[in-house]
Amino acid sequence: MTAMVTAVCNSRSQVQVELCSVRVNNTMFGVPIGHILEIVGSARPQPVPLAPEYVGGLVHYRGDVLTTVSLRQLLGLAPCEGAQDILVLESEGGCFGLQVDSVGEVLTVSPADFEPNPSILDRRHSSLLAGAYKLKDRLLVMLDPERLDPMRLAQEMAER
Amino acid sequence: MDELTREFLIESLEGLDRMERCLTDLEKRPQDAALLGEIFRSVHTIKGTTGFLGFKRLEKLAHRGENLLGLLRDGKVVACRGVITGLLHLLDGLRAILKCIEADESEGTGDDASLIAELEALQTPSGGIEAPSTQPPAPKVGPVVSAVSDPALASAKAGSASPGNESACAAPLPETQTSIEPAAEQPGAAAPPASDSGKLRTPPSTAESTLRVDVTLLNRMMNLVGELVLTRNQVLQATATDPRMTLLSRRLDMVTADLRESVMKARMQPVSNIFSKMPRLVRDLSQSLGRRVHLEMEGQETELDKSLLEAIKDPLTHAVRNALDHGIEPPEERRAVGKDPEGTLKLRAVQEGSHVVIEISDDGAGIAVDKVRDKAIERGLITSDRAALLGERELLQLIFLPGFSTAAMVTNVSGRGVGMDVVRTNVEKIGGKVELDSRAGKGTTLRLRIPLTLAIIPALIVRSLNQSFALPQGALSELVHIPPERAATAIEWIESAPLYRLRGRLLPLVFLSRLLSPGRDCRLAADRDNFIAVLDADGRRFGLVVDGLADPEEIVVKPLSAVLKDIGLYSGATVLGNADLALILDPGAIAMKAGITMHSEEEAGAQVEESADAARAEFLLVEVAGRRAAVPLADVLRIEQLPLSRIEYVGYRPVLNFEGHLLPVEDSGGMLGQAAEVRGDEAGAAGAQIIVVVCRDVNRLVGIVVSHVLDVAAGSDLFEAGTGVQAGGVTMLKNHVTGIVDLGSVAPLVSGGPSQEAWTQPAEVTG
Repeated sequence: MTAMVTAVCNSRSQVQVELCSVRVNNTMFGVPIGHILEIVGSARPQPVPLAPEYVGGLVHYRGDVLTTVSLRQLLGLAPCEGAQDILVLESEGGCFGLQVDSVGEVLTVSPADFEPNPSILDRRHSSLLAGAYKLKDRLLVMLDPERLDPMRLAQEMAER
Repeated sequence: MDELTREFLIESLEGLDRMERCLTDLEKRPQDAALLGEIFRSVHTIKGTTGFLGFKRLEKLAHRGENLLGLLRDGKVVACRGVITGLLHLLDGLRAILKCIEADESEGTGDDASLIAELEALQTPSGGIEAPSTQPPAPKVGPVVSAVSDPALASAKAGSASPGNESACAAPLPETQTSIEPAAEQPGAAAPPASDSGKLRTPPSTAESTLRVDVTLLNRMMNLVGELVLTRNQVLQATATDPRMTLLSRRLDMVTADLRESVMKARMQPVSNIFSKMPRLVRDLSQSLGRRVHLEMEGQETELDKSLLEAIKDPLTHAVRNALDHGIEPPEERRAVGKDPEGTLKLRAVQEGSHVVIEISDDGAGIAVDKVRDKAIERGLITSDRAALLGERELLQLIFLPGFSTAAMVTNVSGRGVGMDVVRTNVEKIGGKVELDSRAGKGTTLRLRIPLTLAIIPALIVRSLNQSFALPQGALSELVHIPPERAATAIEWIESAPLYRLRGRLLPLVFLSRLLSPGRDCRLAADRDNFIAVLDADGRRFGLVVDGLADPEEIVVKPLSAVLKDIGLYSGATVLGNADLALILDPGAIAMKAGITMHSEEEAGAQVEESADAARAEFLLVEVAGRRAAVPLADVLRIEQLPLSRIEYVGYRPVLNFEGHLLPVEDSGGMLGQAAEVRGDEAGAAGAQIIVVVCRDVNRLVGIVVSHVLDVAAGSDLFEAGTGVQAGGVTMLKNHVTGIVDLGSVAPLVSGGPSQEAWTQPAEVTG
C-alpha cells in the first residue's frame, strides 16, 4: 500500500485518477476502476454457514462461484437486509466480490488531493483503508482491493 | 520458449512414449519389422528436428541411437535383452535432455559419454562367425566412429566395450537363435499383441485430422458450457408460457445438451495413456526383483476424463509395484507350488455405467489373511478380541489402514500393504472406490472404481437452514424418512450422542443444522417430515439429519475460494437448475468434524453383521435337473458358462480346468450327458453350453453343474416340530424348503476307495 501511496504522490497533479464511488452506511468509498471487472447490481449472495464474519457469501459470476466480502461486516456494521451491489474485483489471489450498499458514479480526482490515513485512525480501520481524497464537499475514502482480498483478510485474522 | 521448440518437445516426448511401448513389445517379438520401423522413426524424427533447432547434445545422442536402430532394422543386430536395455537407456537419456530443454531451454550439462559408448558397444557385432559378406554395417559404422572426435568419448567407448560387457550386451548373430527361443516357446503369448502394434501404427494417419488443444482452454470451455446449461434452464423456465418461444427454446435446449456432451468428450482420454507406461515398469521391476511376469492389458480404449487419468496414475503404479513385489512369487517358488514360473499380471479397464473400473490382478501368492491379522494386532491397529470376530473380507480391509504399511512388514509378510492407504486415499479423493479380493495361493485382484468425470457428479439436494446443499450420491447409501408422528421417539440417546436404530444397528447421527449453526438443538421437527441421509464416507458410517429433500441433480462442481475451503466442510459449490447456489457437502469432512471414527464404527458393524449372518445365511438358488437346490453364497467363487467341450474326463469323472487348476465337477443331475444328447452328434455336443458354479469347499475347489441360476436369497433355518432340533442340509428359501448342496460330499480327485464308489452313482444316472 505504501507503494501505491508513493506512486500517487510522485505523479502529483500529472495524472488524473478515476475512481468508482461506492456507498456503505453514508460513507463514500472509492475503488480504482482499473481493478473492477464488473458490477453486479442488486444481488443476494448465498450465505456460507461457518464462514468467517467478513465473508458475505457466494455469487454466481460468469460460470464461476465468487466469494464476496461484505464491506459492512468488515467495518463492523450490522449486515444489510436487502439486496446489495457487488463489485467484482481482481486481485493477485484471483477474483472476489465486494458487497456494498450501492454503487455511485465514476469520479475523476487529482492525486494532489490525496492524503494518507490519519494517525488517529484505529489499527483495524487503517489496515483496511488506503487514505482519502478531499472532494469539495466530503471525503472519498480509498479502498485498496489487494487489502480486501478474502485470502489476505484470513491471514490477518489468523495473525491477530 | 518459441512455438517451434514447444511443438518439437511435445512431438518428441510422444514419440518416445510410443518407442517405449514398442521396445517392450520388441522384446517379445525381436524380429517384428514394423515395431523396429516405428522405433527407428521416433529417434530419427528427434535427430532430424534437433539438428534444425541446434540442440547439439540431443542430436549426438539421437544419432548414435539411430545408427544402432538402423542395424537392427536391417537385421544386422538382433534385439536381444541387452540391446533392448541399451535402447531403453537411450530413451531415458533422450527424455532427460528433453525435460531439461522443457525446463530451461538448455540441454543441460550431463555427460552422455558412457551411454554413447554403451550404444556403440551394442552395434559392434563381434563378427568372425558370420561371413564377411553379412557384415555390411562396416560402412555405416565408419562415419560414426570418425564422428567421435572427442578423445574422452573414444576412450570411454573402448572401456565399456570390454569383453565382460560384450558378452552381456552385444549379441552376435549366432546367438540369435537362443535369444529368440523364449518367444518361440509361447506362440500364444506373441499372437495377441500383434493387433496392438497394428493400433500403434495408426496414429500417423489420424494425425492430420486431430488438433492439439491446451487443457486450460478445455477447462474454460467446460465452465462456459456449464454456464450455458444454467442459462438454458432459466430461459426454459421463463419462456414456458410463451408459445412463440417454445420452438426456439427447445432448439436451444438440444444444442446445449449436444455441446455439453461434445466438450465432455473432448476432455476424455483413453486409459492407454497410462497403461502404456506399464510394460516398461513391469519389465524393469521384474528384472530387478527377479520375477518372470507376463503383462496382459485389456480395455485400453476405455476413456476417462483427463484430470482423473492423471489422478490415478500414481495409485495404479503403486498397485502394479505391489503386485510384482508382494504378489507374484519368484519363479522357483512358483514352480515349487506347481504354477507356471511366469506370473501373469492383468490390467483391465472397463466402463460400468457412470464409472470406469480398473482392475489389477495377479496370479501370485495372494494375501495371507492370518498374517495380516497378526500384523495388525502387533501394530495395535485392532485388538485380538475384535480380530477374532472379523471375517476374511474384513481382515483384508485392514491393509488399507494407515500405519499398516511399514517397511518392516514388507520383509516379514508376503502379503501386500505398502502404502495401500495411500492408494485408497488418492482414489477416494476423486470420488472413486477401491475394492480388494484375494485368495491365498491364487492371486489378488485390486479394483479401482473411478467416476467418469469429476466436473459433473450426481448429487442429492438437501435442505437445511433454509438453504440448499448438495450431497454427492457416491457417499449416500440410503435415505430414512421419519414422519412427524415418529419424530419424538425415533432418536435414542446415549448421554449427548444421538443415535438411530437402523435395522437393529445403532447409527450415530449428525444434525446438519446444528453442525452448520452451533447452538441449535438436536431435535426432529414434530410438525414436518424429517430425513436421515445414511452416508458412508471412507468407511465411516453415519446418518446426516436434514430438514428436507429436493430432487437429485447432476451438478457442475465449481471450486471454492481458499477461505471457504478452509472451513473444511464443503468440497465446492454448484449452481442448481433454479439458478440458486448450493454448497457441496464433503461427507468425509463432516464425519471427521463430528468425531465419527472408522474403528468404532467398523467394530460395531462387524459384530452386528456377524450375528445377523449366523441367523440368515445367504444362498445361491439354483435349479439342477428340475429340482431347486441351494449353494451357500459365501462358498461361491464364480459362476461360469462354458462350452461342454471344456469338461474333460479323468476316467469316468468329469473335471474342469479352472484357471490352470483341475477341479472335480459334481454332476448330480446328469446334465452333462443330457447336454451331449440334446445336440446329438459329437461335434454339436462340444458346442453346447453348460453352467458350472465354482465353489470353495474348505481348501479345495469344486464345480457344480446346474441347469439355471435362479436367485440369491437369505435362507432361514428349519427346526423339526416338537423336538426343536435344527434340520441339517435344508433351509427355508423363498418359502420353499430347499436342499443345500453338500460340497464336502464331492469326491476328491486324488484318493481312492470309498469316494470312488460314491462317484459311480451319478455316473450311472448319466448313463
